[in-house]
Amino acid sequence: MKYAALLLPLLFIALFVYALIRKVRLYDCFTEGVKGAVPLILSIFPYLVSVLILSELFERSGLSALLTQGLAPAFSFLGIPPEIGKLVLLKPFSGSGSTALLADLLAQYGADSYIGRCACVAFGSSETVFFISAVYFAGSKKSLLKPVVIALFSNFLSLILGCLFCKIM
Amino acid sequence: MNVIFAVIFLAAAIVFLVHDPEGFLPAMLAGGQKAATVCFALLASYCVWLGFFKVLEKSGLSERLARGLYPAARRLFRSQDRQALALACQNIAANLLGLPGAPTPPGVAATQKFLAAGNDYAADMLFVLNATSLQLLPTTVIALRAAAGSSSPADILAPTLLATLVSTLAGAALVILTRRRA
Repeated sequence: MKYAALLLPLLFIALFVYALIRKVRLYDCFTEGVKGAVPLILSIFPYLVSVLILSELFERSGLSALLTQGLAPAFSFLGIPPEIGKLVLLKPFSGSGSTALLADLLAQYGADSYIGRCACVAFGSSETVFFISAVYFAGSKKSLLKPVVIALFSNFLSLILGCLFCKIM
Repeated sequence: MNVIFAVIFLAAAIVFLVHDPEGFLPAMLAGGQKAATVCFALLASYCVWLGFFKVLEKSGLSERLARGLYPAARRLFRSQDRQALALACQNIAANLLGLPGAPTPPGVAATQKFLAAGNDYAADMLFVLNATSLQLLPTTVIALRAAAGSSSPADILAPTLLATLVSTLAGAALVILTRRRA
């Protein structure tokens, strides 16, 4: 795992050396790229706020806990440990919230337990669907129902498969 | 998204109304505050990566890397826009490598180009690929497992990759199947 950390510095060194050989003015060029960051953030910001307010309401109202309880039988029917239900429901909204939740689950049940492994696979094979849709489709007027539903379905599929693989592998 | 927003918002508001009416506003404000914090974190990482991608573009390397991927990308996204396809390829590469924050700038730029050209299909495809987790090495999970005292933190790699692979393929297939014929 230690080698993974080498990736980033190597990537930058390789690119910058190549750019220098191609006579790119590094400082001017890098700075010009950075210029785009503020407009990008400004276009994303309103959508981000709406999604994160929604995520906070969802969690703090107790709605996520209620749903977790209500869905527990369905989850166990599909082979998903109900203990990770909350993680499954929170992940589409918020990366930081679900990361904290995963850490809690690992502390509570142990990283090598079946529940802990399922939680890790569920976390690693899914993405923050609502968050990404807010960022990628910022400012677009098109209906997002289809792509969002497909993405949620795919994530759910990987959840079921992940729990199954945890059991047999 | 309008439907999803309305349903979840109203359901949560009603639960607040019944159980904890005083907690409603603080919850919304906490969301807003989180958004502000997240935006600053994102701004920092976009600065770094936009600088990186500009150098990649100016050095001509992005053009060279994308050229090999054009035939595949053109068919996957059904687009002839070389610039948008190059951005989409950068987005996917950054996703696979799991560079935190890096996929977003080229991904957003490619999506905007696809949408401007009226190619909703390509935008949907790129979004679904991003939203089904393409990461080859789930670094966050492995780090958390190591921190929690796991005896083999990387042990979840195989099931995660398999599950992700299947779900990404399923998502892409669904986008292709539900494409409106022009």
